[in-house]
Amino acid sequence: MSSRGLPWRRLPLRTRVIGAFTLGAAIAALVLVVITYGLSRQSMLQQREESSERQFFANARQVQSSLRAEDPDFTQLLESLPSLSGSRSIVRTGDETWTSLSLTPNDLPPPLVSSVLESSQAKTMRYRLDDQPVLAFGLQLRPSNASALQGVAYFELVPLAEVESTLESLALILLVGGALTVLVGVGIGLWASGGLLRPLTDISDAATSIAHGRFDTRLEEVSDPDLDALVSSFNEMAAAMETRITRDARFSSDVSHELRSPLMTLRASIDVMQHRREELPERTQQALDLLNDEVVRFEHLVQDLLDLSRSDSGPMEIDLVNIEELVKATLASSEGVVPLEVSGNAEGALVMGDKRRLAQVLDNLLRNAEKYGDGPTRLTISSSGRNIEIAVEDSGPGVAPSERELIFERFTRGAAARKRGTGDGAGLGLALVDEHARRHGGTARVEGKPNGDSGARFVVTLPKAGRR
Amino acid sequence: MSIRILTIEDDERIRTAVRFALEDEGWNVLEAETGEQALEEFDSMNPDVVLVDIGLPGIDGFEVCRALRRASDVPIIMVTARDDTHDVVAGLEAGSDDYLTKPIAPKELSARIRALLRRVKSENTGSSPRTVGDLDIVPDEGVVRKSGTEIHLTKTEFHLLCELSDQLGKVLSREHLLEEVWGYDYFGDGRLVDVHVRRLRTKIETDPAHPRHVVTVRGMGYKLQP
Repeated sequence: MSSRGLPWRRLPLRTRVIGAFTLGAAIAALVLVVITYGLSRQSMLQQREESSERQFFANARQVQSSLRAEDPDFTQLLESLPSLSGSRSIVRTGDETWTSLSLTPNDLPPPLVSSVLESSQAKTMRYRLDDQPVLAFGLQLRPSNASALQGVAYFELVPLAEVESTLESLALILLVGGALTVLVGVGIGLWASGGLLRPLTDISDAATSIAHGRFDTRLEEVSDPDLDALVSSFNEMAAAMETRITRDARFSSDVSHELRSPLMTLRASIDVMQHRREELPERTQQALDLLNDEVVRFEHLVQDLLDLSRSDSGPMEIDLVNIEELVKATLASSEGVVPLEVSGNAEGALVMGDKRRLAQVLDNLLRNAEKYGDGPTRLTISSSGRNIEIAVEDSGPGVAPSERELIFERFTRGAAARKRGTGDGAGLGLALVDEHARRHGGTARVEGKPNGDSGARFVVTLPKAGRR
Repeated sequence: MSIRILTIEDDERIRTAVRFALEDEGWNVLEAETGEQALEEFDSMNPDVVLVDIGLPGIDGFEVCRALRRASDVPIIMVTARDDTHDVVAGLEAGSDDYLTKPIAPKELSARIRALLRRVKSENTGSSPRTVGDLDIVPDEGVVRKSGTEIHLTKTEFHLLCELSDQLGKVLSREHLLEEVWGYDYFGDGRLVDVHVRRLRTKIETDPAHPRHVVTVRGMGYKLQP
């Protein structure tokens, strides 16, 4: 698989455009959220730390000064200290500890205590107390002179729960904002891909319209220089095609006129002669029969040719057609008798179609069986799923599997037809069967006889009309 | 008196061959090479059926049709080398009663002519007068009155109206009408009915765009109602 086969490349263009916008928005939102949150968190914590630190040193100084008194009343002192947003204090002397309300000596983390007692610097530590985030400060105090007090330290615990909940709200807001940004990205992607793809949709619509026979379809001029080249070359192509098709159509209708007029004279003259057949010498009668056969062949050839040229572009007269009635009417107007079998589930089946063209399909199959298959032996109509199958069977040499597709092509004749050698037929009859069947949304095929006998079975499949 | 058929055809060979074939049927065949000649001599010829080729030099078959229609309700068969919808519908709109595509087999041609002639006769043996809403139809006289005023219909239009009024309120399929009015078998062209219904509407409906009398029943056919 080449690099063109990457999964991303295989996605529809629209999905890729929307995907790119979504991804871009998501990355932008993520970066923004992370940076905003990080900066806010850092600055809020720092602010809190700084103000708490100032408070702590002020309180520490007060405790320090109280040490000058003999036997200081720490309990009272602790209560008198100002408290910043619920901060609480602890004083520790040797083996005694005083705490603010609702605190116990064990609330201090031992590592903080030992690091404070080993140093003359202030220490800070962040930890969780009763599951609440707390910032703890500690400073060893120096008692005056030779006081009895040793290892005196002042601690202050500042709750950070408030900061933390503010940060949580901020995170939530940022996440919601980020999600909204991604949504907006998807929206812009949808809008942009719509705008981007509209010219392509227009072109595809126009091409479909042309394919359905509206050859005068053109794209509207656009001001976008990138699209203008595409639009004008598309329109040039459509115009060239229209000219060509009109010219071909005119040519074929001119030819039709030219061929049909002499044919009409021939047909009428032969009929006049046939009318007086008894007055003619026998040899002349035989010559007349030859002439008649050839004119009949010529008529069929011209009709098939015209129908083929028309089937490329001509409109059909669409009606609801009862297949059984159609087959019976066609059989009635053709020579010879062919047994008709209609299986139960095909009785009264309807198709949407052009009566005359469907009759021509059947007529051509019967003529084909007559000429190359020693005459049709059986005609069946059956139902298979959503389709109706019309089959014409003969008892001739059959069609070799290698030729079964080929014989439906224009100007191609099977072995059986070539063997006749009389140039009887131009290889158009079955081509017309195939083209008419396909224009009705069906198919034409040939197969061997189901029971293995010699002969061919030509099957035309047509879609059933929906129930009304 | 023998039946007179006027063929308007510029191709002399076709004209002669068709004349031979029609004369074999025992009919009297009159000929015109151009539309102008046909229109000039139409009154003196007084044909029972006219056969018009579409591709005439000078004024074309459609124009001849329209000119003849203004002057007469003689049955007209249009002969065309093309059976495109456009040509067929244009010919029928111009006022022809039927059409045939070249090459025409003489048997088919005489069958069509006979059907048209039969139709002309059948109106005289028609049924009793009837009233449908503001329309009074008198089949015996070949007369239709709308609110008392006589309306001019061609023979085919009149026959179509009679056929619809015979089964008032019942939906008649296009196949049925083709058989009864035009004498076609299974393979008649439904466009004949559609165009004639359209023409009939412009004459008998107060508002042809919203017909009250001749109503289309989609996928089924047409019906006449008061």
